[in-house]
Amino acid sequence: MTDGSYGNYISAVAKSAARRKGRRVEWKLLSLIGVYAMIGAAALYLGSAGAADRKVVFACVSVVAAYFLVSFYWHYSGYRGDCFLLPLVALLSTTGLIFLFRLDPAYGVRQFFWLLIGLGVLLLTTRLLIDFRFLSDYKYIYALAGLIALILPVFFGQEQGGAKSWLDLGIFNFQPSEFVKILVVLFLASYLSENRAVLTVGTRNLGGLALPGPQEWGPLLAMWGISLLLLVYQKDLGAALIYFSTFLTMVYVATSRILYVLFGSTLFAAGAAASFYMFDHVRARFEIWMNPWPNIETTGYQIIQSLFAINSGGVLGSGLGLGFPGYIPAVHTDLIFSAICEELGLAGGAGIIILFMLFVYRGIRIALKTTDEFAALAASGLTALLGLQAFIIIAGVTKLLPLTGITLPYISYGGSSLVANFILLGLLLNISHEEESDL
Amino acid sequence: MKQNILKLGFLLLGLFLILVGYLSYLQVVRNPALASNPYNRRVQEMENQTVRGNIYDAKGVVLARTEFDGKQGRRVYPQGDVAAHIIGYVSDRYGRAGLESAYDSYLLGMEGSDSVRNFINRLLGKEQKGGDLTLTIDSSLQELAEQLLGNRRGAVVLVDTRTGALRVVASAPGYDPNRLEEYWPVLVQAADSPLLNRATQGAYPPGSTFKIITAAGALADKPGLADSTFNCQGYLMVGGYKLTDLAVHGEVDLKKALAVSCNTTFAQLGLGLGADSFYRTFKAFGLDQDPGPGIAVRPGTLAAPGDMIQTELASSAIGQGEVLVSPLHMALAAAAIANQGVIMHPYLVESVRDSSGAAVQSVTQRQWLTATTPAISGIIKEGMIDAVRGGTATAAAVSGVKVAGKTGSAQNPHGKTHAWFIGFAPAEQPRLAVAVVLENAGSGASVAAPVAGRLLATALAKGY
Repeated sequence: MTDGSYGNYISAVAKSAARRKGRRVEWKLLSLIGVYAMIGAAALYLGSAGAADRKVVFACVSVVAAYFLVSFYWHYSGYRGDCFLLPLVALLSTTGLIFLFRLDPAYGVRQFFWLLIGLGVLLLTTRLLIDFRFLSDYKYIYALAGLIALILPVFFGQEQGGAKSWLDLGIFNFQPSEFVKILVVLFLASYLSENRAVLTVGTRNLGGLALPGPQEWGPLLAMWGISLLLLVYQKDLGAALIYFSTFLTMVYVATSRILYVLFGSTLFAAGAAASFYMFDHVRARFEIWMNPWPNIETTGYQIIQSLFAINSGGVLGSGLGLGFPGYIPAVHTDLIFSAICEELGLAGGAGIIILFMLFVYRGIRIALKTTDEFAALAASGLTALLGLQAFIIIAGVTKLLPLTGITLPYISYGGSSLVANFILLGLLLNISHEEESDL
Repeated sequence: MKQNILKLGFLLLGLFLILVGYLSYLQVVRNPALASNPYNRRVQEMENQTVRGNIYDAKGVVLARTEFDGKQGRRVYPQGDVAAHIIGYVSDRYGRAGLESAYDSYLLGMEGSDSVRNFINRLLGKEQKGGDLTLTIDSSLQELAEQLLGNRRGAVVLVDTRTGALRVVASAPGYDPNRLEEYWPVLVQAADSPLLNRATQGAYPPGSTFKIITAAGALADKPGLADSTFNCQGYLMVGGYKLTDLAVHGEVDLKKALAVSCNTTFAQLGLGLGADSFYRTFKAFGLDQDPGPGIAVRPGTLAAPGDMIQTELASSAIGQGEVLVSPLHMALAAAAIANQGVIMHPYLVESVRDSSGAAVQSVTQRQWLTATTPAISGIIKEGMIDAVRGGTATAAAVSGVKVAGKTGSAQNPHGKTHAWFIGFAPAEQPRLAVAVVLENAGSGASVAAPVAGRLLATALAKGY
């Protein structure tokens, strides 16, 4: 045995020990979440205020058990993905599940099944896409797939909550934009890592500014077009905002050129301003945001009810099942955060935000640890995607930004959203798995 | 690129920190406008979860209680329209009024130890209960008063002169609070304003009943007037106008003038008193105040002293002109004469008990105003005794009891005179003071005095 191979052997032993320790931390955290979920379920089951039945207890036990199974499987298959992300998502999703049972047990039951499906998809992602790098090779194929998926609802779509971004698949409705956003991040990560040098330095000089040629920025401009398309045809302001802000952050991360960000923001602002004058629904959204009170009975009703709920919560909230979040329209999906604020107060609301901050922290850490540009861009893009989505909807329900119809990741009711976010989680974990392996 | 990823991280964390800051502002800085907005149904919902406390009369008769039909509570008023104006109502649609409104937080158990108990019950998912009110009102007397008013417009107030306890505060026409929501559109549009509590919110010219106040003012100003006489020729010339009297009363002293209700004498007394002293007397009887019995009272009004020219002063002195007062005010004026010049603070709520039965608030009987002296009230009392014995107010007499009283027939722009009676009984040891007004019903002597007599007789027989 040479010295080198001995060294490898030692480091392999140390790594496997660290790996086992990591999963053990995960189990400890999942146990605590199990206790948390049980307390929530018990409060609902025993409290008279909620309409929940025994199902909530069963659902919480099963979901926590499913999380443990995922973790066990990773342990025995030698998976080395980040050990904090799964508990974070578990905490967010059990909170969401309990609140859905509290708001409407029918949604709780459906969310329970979607969570199990989501965890299954997570397992598949961490198994089948573990060598995620191959994804960078097919970028134009899924750019096209994504585009088609986005355009389909424009022709065959159903309108829900003012946004025409749904496809009716018979047994359930499917929202392609939830999945396309992941494809967009992967496409951009691949495209930007390939063209990074050119985009950063530029190939031609225009009035003292070094700019790349049209073949380089062309696809980016297409991105901007798609965002506006979403905004205009699907009335999906929220998705457009997420796409575009994720896009800009990724371009900035790849190129370090703040000019692109400014230019892109200006273009988006110009497009938004034009649609403000051209389309009534965009103008209505904006006016409701500026001052919802004159339209309290109609268009301003939702955001005002959300503000009532949040304000009534106070520091500690009314207690689970003791508030009146039922007055908020769409409280089970987009406005679930308002219900949490009413019943768990500032403590609960800020707690949820802090969980998202921890998620972002782990995501950024993963992005920083990779040595590979594609992986780093993909990790930071996925992290930005999730963080921005959480920010935009929370800012929306608190009237810091215009309210848009997007879900609060892992918490809101919604199968498409949940499954897509579990794929996102799986991809992040795969990136961290890889960097742990080739240390 | 690592640098940029780090910046992205800081940007995202910064955005979340802004959210935490803004959320803290939204949740910690309570906005009362949000909580009380009519589109925010939370306060209403909280109330619907609470069993609102009962309201009892002085004898323990239930005036208001909450009945449960499944989970939804319903406010029931077993006595129907009896004392509806005082008890008031609670309606999701039309708000709340009367004592239901004034004692809302007690009835909902939001005060004192009830607030703690109900907070715990709320957390435990148990029933939340409010406290009970016991009123000074006697519902059988109240009902009698309302029957005596009949389908006429008017009001009756009966007050215990020694304590200030209000035994009857009746107003007609009334309404059935059990069917408020059903009849609301009719009630608010009806010409005879059934929702108006005439006993406390009415603004009536007091007519000749006001003469006891003019007399008190004049006697305080010139004590010698008690022994002087006045010559009534049936009219008085004031500032070029002729103020006619109902009769030529001839030589009268002050007591006699009260007994026969001589306008000439009292117009002269008012003129002698002067605007400033007249105004002071008005204030001394608390006529310009809301005495605060538990529900809102319209303070009485009169022309400002600066605007009180001779004709106005002369007509104000006999309760006409711009003088407008409520029946409650006039009952308290009668109580002042009965109680040697002292008006006890009037009250409607005897005690407030929390849901466990412990008293949270019980009334402390206290003097409200010293309107006049025992000597002056003694002289006026004799005039009022004479009025019932052989003057204008004989119809108020009660067999076996000496009643003191004063009638009034107040002219007004709406037709026949308002019939007034104020008085108290028993005259030697007064216990109860009364005020009756019947709108556009004719003369006080024939219409209002019998109502007062019936009520006083029944109340005294019941031991009040």
